[in-house]
Amino acid sequence: MKDLKSILENEILSRVNKPLRYVGTEYNSVKKEWNKVKLRTLFAFPDLYEIGMSHLGLRILYHLVNEQPQYLMERVFSPWTDMEQALRERDIPLFSLESYRPIAEFDCIGITLQYEMSYTNILNMLDLGKIPLKANERKNEYPLIMGGGPCAYNPEPLADFFDFFVLGEGEEVILEVFETISSHREKHNGRQDKKILLKELAAIKGVYVPSFYKPIYVDGVLIEVQPTKPDVPRRVVKRVVQDLDKAYFPLKPLVPYTEVVHDRIMLEVLRGCTRGCRFCQAGMIYRPVRERSSEVLERQAKELIKATGYNEISLTSLSTSDHSNIKPLLKSMLDKYEQDRIGISLPSLRVDAFSLELAKEVQRVRKTGLTFAPEAGTQRLRDVINKGVTEENLMEVTTAAFEAGWTQIKLYFMIGLPTETFLDLDGIVDLAYKVLHNGMRILREGGRTRQAKITISVSSFVPKANTPFQWEKQDTLEQLKEKQRYIKEKIKDRRINYNYHEAELSILEAVFARGDRRLNELLLKAWEKGCKFDSWSEHFRYNLWLEAFQELNMEPQELANISEEFDRKLPWEHLNMGVTKAYLWQEREKAYQTVATEDCRYQSCTTCGICQDLGVSMVLERK
Amino acid sequence: MLVRIKYRKTSAGRFMSHLDLLRTIERIFRRAGLPMAFSEGFNPHPKVSFGSALAVGITSDAEYLDVELREEFPLDQLRERLDVAVPSGIEIMEIRQLQTRTRSLTAQINMARYRVYVPLAEKMEASELEQLIQKAMVQPTFIVTRDGKKGKRQVDIKNGIYKLEGRLDEDYIILQIDVQTGSEGNIRPEEVVEMLRKTGDLYLREGLQIHRLGLYVREEAAIKTPLEI
Ligand code: SF4
Repeated sequence: MKDLKSILENEILSRVNKPLRYVGTEYNSVKKEWNKVKLRTLFAFPDLYEIGMSHLGLRILYHLVNEQPQYLMERVFSPWTDMEQALRERDIPLFSLESYRPIAEFDCIGITLQYEMSYTNILNMLDLGKIPLKANERKNEYPLIMGGGPCAYNPEPLADFFDFFVLGEGEEVILEVFETISSHREKHNGRQDKKILLKELAAIKGVYVPSFYKPIYVDGVLIEVQPTKPDVPRRVVKRVVQDLDKAYFPLKPLVPYTEVVHDRIMLEVLRGCTRGCRFCQAGMIYRPVRERSSEVLERQAKELIKATGYNEISLTSLSTSDHSNIKPLLKSMLDKYEQDRIGISLPSLRVDAFSLELAKEVQRVRKTGLTFAPEAGTQRLRDVINKGVTEENLMEVTTAAFEAGWTQIKLYFMIGLPTETFLDLDGIVDLAYKVLHNGMRILREGGRTRQAKITISVSSFVPKANTPFQWEKQDTLEQLKEKQRYIKEKIKDRRINYNYHEAELSILEAVFARGDRRLNELLLKAWEKGCKFDSWSEHFRYNLWLEAFQELNMEPQELANISEEFDRKLPWEHLNMGVTKAYLWQEREKAYQTVATEDCRYQSCTTCGICQDLGVSMVLERK
Repeated sequence: MLVRIKYRKTSAGRFMSHLDLLRTIERIFRRAGLPMAFSEGFNPHPKVSFGSALAVGITSDAEYLDVELREEFPLDQLRERLDVAVPSGIEIMEIRQLQTRTRSLTAQINMARYRVYVPLAEKMEASELEQLIQKAMVQPTFIVTRDGKKGKRQVDIKNGIYKLEGRLDEDYIILQIDVQTGSEGNIRPEEVVEMLRKTGDLYLREGLQIHRLGLYVREEAAIKTPLEI
């Protein structure tokens, strides 16, 4: 039989769409000799190459592991449907990009859990790789399947398929995990004895082995997820990097041949956000705020440009304009790189004058669009969600933007938030019109010929685990659709462009975001029916999901919601992400009283729990 | 300084589209620490121009591009720096400095040479192949249909085929063809294969492989490469 590499190169790649999705020889990719390392690992991203390669976490872990001489890490992404068909027709197993090896030949596969609607792709990848889906069906000769990333804080809907999960920031723990696996293999003649190995792994702080825990139900109500082994912790605590300056950051990152979604240098300026929006999971799970110092950032920028050749640096984080030194940092980078036509971009802007000043600076080299996120249409509802943005803020910043030359502005909103009424929807429409009319006036008075245009992008609220709103009811599908229609009917002006997401997807997202182990069955059934690439509207098939629900006697609306009592155990309560349940509950109560909570970076500590319990602290370059 | 670079496209390189290549060239020069010159204006872009575009999937031994740099460098240093900055699948072959801005590469290049592997579904004798090529080449015209922006178009490709040679290797015909390329007309190697197939009632299998051997400036007197003129 011809080897996989030559079949792929000569017979398959030239027949699929975008073949470079499947070629792992990009600049700065690492290919190590298979037989010269102790452990062969694979990073699996359950979505397309273009999405996965835009993810900073992949680059951090890929290069961190490959810089260790004793390990190798290769990559695999979900093949698009044309490639899947080509593989299935010829019975070719899913392969890694670097060495074109079947994924089942690796010792450990780490699958990143970035969003719930990629879960069917995980099953599809394992199946394409000829790996049994369920952890208890995988004997010792199969790779260990590890999960990590934001969705690992509630991994219960995936518990059957994974051998273990890693909670928290991967660069802090991954080498300990690989060290444990490789020394285990050394002791066991190059093989693994899963029963023993999983116990050894469970002893690492931050590692959760779901088969060592059992959910206890009484009358269909979850009472607790209990350890079934004496020496595993009752609650698994996540891992956190304390000092971002000392944390590993790849200085020779991969440079794709073909365009990916975020095709630029990603420079992580800070981690965490403590603005405290009550719907936002990232704002809770990535605490505390830790800034990287300007000195380190400048040095990294310089080396990254040399190593990648990119012409754009994105200063990434959840809230870049909050970096305490952002203005001088931005100015200095722009000055340094302007003549080489290297631009800087800021992915997220606060709604305030300061952020607009930053955006104006950035324009010196490259024009970019402007996006702001008021999230809700009225002051009342913005106070409920603790989004510290006023209408004056928005008008001030958009006025300045139109005056500075922008003509198009994008605004993000959410519908279905707790306590929302139709008045709040009217508020969204009113705000859009106000910003538009203001823009038209400014452009007219400035004698400019281009028209003002507003895009409002409206998503549906999904209650997420580990947020103050984790107990909230989600709107029904009908309610969400009615609200979407309501806004649509009120927007008559063609200069306002109105986008919204499929509400069905938001319902499913809520199901999985707060689900327990019973969902494993549902996921499997939906995948068997052909669900995959659910986050791609051309592939999303809600009717198949409904069939799966029906056959299992499950009710989406019921599953999408959990009990609203504080004392009830949550399906993920045996996992400790740092911020306490009591704090989240208190934030929820404050939401109903429309009381604001200040940002601990500017005011005093509000005792969310993470710094107290996990021995970390906020790091700011300048107080 | 203005330089003309000859490079190869192999393995992954053949799957890069023109746009991929454009982006990659800029990155290669930046990695190599060779500052490119940029155009003036609202949206400056690096001053690079390419020879004839290559369809995605085709490997090539001889592609060309002209680049303007903001500083002078000795050619051997240029070569050294570029060699470490190119990704796998692109290989620098030769660099020459251009003294003055001549006509653009696309305006100069007017002929391409290809090697094409044509998989046969039926056995064929060497003499049959020879006759077939002769028969195909004596036809005064050969019309192909092309999909253009304004719908289908009929084009005579015969005059643009300068040379056609072939030999058999097991169940493949290996062709070497010289065809017109560039702004005056562009003949695709698949069209030449189509001419042979129709003329000889050939049965072919899937899996045509095309490789570009060279790009040339063809004049009355001689055929030269873009580095020789
Ligand atoms: S513990 Fe206090 S300082 Fe630390 S993130 Fe929470 S609120 Fe901020």
